Amino acid sequence: MDERRRRFEQLVLPHLGAAYNLARWLGGRDAEDVAQDAILRAFRAFDGFRGGDAKAWLFTIVRNCHYTALGRRRKTVALPDEGENDIASDAPDPEVSAIDADRARKLNRVIASLPDEFREALVLREMEDMSYREIGEITGVPIGTVMSRLSRARALLRQSWQAQTKETAP
Amino acid sequence: MTCDRAFETQAYADGELDAVSALAVEQHLETCAECRALHDGIVEMRAALKRDARYYRPAAAFVECIQRDIAREDGHTRRRAPFGSHPFWTGAFGGVAATALAASLALFVMLPSAQDQLASDVEAAHVRSLIGDHLIDVASSNHHVVKPWFAGRADISPPVTDYAAQGFTLVGGRLDYVDGRRAAVLVYRHGAHVVNVFVWKDDGSLGARAKDVNGYNILSWKAGGLFFCAVSDAEAGELRKLSDLIQKNSSN
Repeated sequence: MDERRRRFEQLVLPHLGAAYNLARWLGGRDAEDVAQDAILRAFRAFDGFRGGDAKAWLFTIVRNCHYTALGRRRKTVALPDEGENDIASDAPDPEVSAIDADRARKLNRVIASLPDEFREALVLREMEDMSYREIGEITGVPIGTVMSRLSRARALLRQSWQAQTKETAP
Repeated sequence: MTCDRAFETQAYADGELDAVSALAVEQHLETCAECRALHDGIVEMRAALKRDARYYRPAAAFVECIQRDIAREDGHTRRRAPFGSHPFWTGAFGGVAATALAASLALFVMLPSAQDQLASDVEAAHVRSLIGDHLIDVASSNHHVVKPWFAGRADISPPVTDYAAQGFTLVGGRLDYVDGRRAAVLVYRHGAHVVNVFVWKDDGSLGARAKDVNGYNILSWKAGGLFFCAVSDAEAGELRKLSDLIQKNSSN
């Protein structure tokens, strides 16, 4: 195995799981295709990787691949609707009580319902611990925009979350 | 959100401020109920997300497929490099091309032997088990649970013992395919490290040795008609300890 591949497997490949998670939260159903496309592009472009955070670098590629695929799909077929059964079909963990499972399901549905640019900022910040600067680089917007997107995302999340929990309150 | 320090408060909650600015926000929070509510809301929601937000994990088969893709892609680029548009021969005496030449020579010299192939397959299976969701098929530290689980699934019966007292806690077992053969895998935890111990029937084709591949230590040995291969990012000396424990156990 040559040095380039060895370095790639050490620096980038360990973030495959995170890339898949991001692709899943960005778009949903074709996350495997997007993550695969992104990893291969990353491998081909690896000579151009000038150090820094490999995870943020890979995320930028994942996001580009997602939007490229989205553009292609929009031209051909309508988007499959992101129905709730996607998340509701998760195998239940017997250790978790029904109430906890219900709460988790609702929260995930609320995150999934956020507008794209808000959801992506929130996922990068809260699930992946990316800094404002990194989120700005990944999504191609200034830090000020990152801050306002996060702020909107959180306000919306809180709003729909409260609406959800009120609905089911006894 | 009307307080004009709301963004600052958010940045504080996100750990984006330097010490001086953070201090200023902390003082502001003491007097501004609105920003305090904003801050507490962010912290509260973060805890809820940590607990309940779904983190999607790729399937083991997908991770495997990606590893194959990369190996294939790697083969393409390496085969292409000397004969493609790159002026390989014309620049053969230049510094860059000399490196390329050295690299392509190393390629011939280092054609993997069966043993090296096994080591890199085992390393790949180890990484796959850590990235994907397929570390454990049967989760138990009880060898009375793990051992019978292998019966009927693997063609061998590996010695299953928990060495928690010696620092290696048995966390479970699984089946894996390595090098086209079905392997029984014992999974141990050693501090923060995961150790995968692959076990096959010893068919005499492989010899025992230690190696490191991509920073993972690999140690193989034979005992009681079985071939063992332990892989981990734990230190080689630690792997040796586990190997000694298992060997002592299988000779009893």
